[in-house]
Amino acid sequence: MSHVAKIELEIKSLDALIQACQRLGFEFVRDQKKYQWYGRWVGDYPLPEGIITDQLGACDHAIKVPGCTYEIGVVKRNSSYTLLWDSWESALRLKIGQDAGVIKQAYTVEAVKQDALLKGYHVIEKKTDTAIRLVLSR
Amino acid sequence: MQEIIIDISSDGEITIESRGFKGKVCLQETQFVKDLLGHELASQLTPAYYETNKKSIKRYLKLCG
Repeated sequence: MSHVAKIELEIKSLDALIQACQRLGFEFVRDQKKYQWYGRWVGDYPLPEGIITDQLGACDHAIKVPGCTYEIGVVKRNSSYTLLWDSWESALRLKIGQDAGVIKQAYTVEAVKQDALLKGYHVIEKKTDTAIRLVLSR
Repeated sequence: MQEIIIDISSDGEITIESRGFKGKVCLQETQFVKDLLGHELASQLTPAYYETNKKSIKRYLKLCG
């Protein structure tokens, strides 16, 4: 081992996000400008950085999660995308995980696989109980 | 064997390890993953980072005879 780094994820690739949705069985709806939520901000969870209450409910694309009424909004901000959702619905919370970790995990896997293969790496995916490991070699 | 290992937990936490690289090349090899995914929160160098690919030459001095 020569170094270890921790990364804070930014969603930059819409293609990888679409692939992630397919992987999870979610439906990515391109150009859907509103996502389903409670409809009124009650202050029960922190807003993402740079998002104000008036922006809630509006999006550039949306993600529909099977078995859930509420949806996930995909909002383009500069060169990356922010996910917005109402965590009040327990079914949605369970499917996407804490802080949408399940979507972020699937996105990371798809984004890395796409780019690494283009760069000539051989990619092996391994699943553990709580994580997915990608091994890149060439 | 030179490998880049990326662990992604179900809460979205990402850890990148480079294995088998010697010296600064490990940082160059993993940079594309960091650029792709976001920004680095923390980084820890391991002893291999300080090694180089240069072969060391051992010289022995005759002490007797």
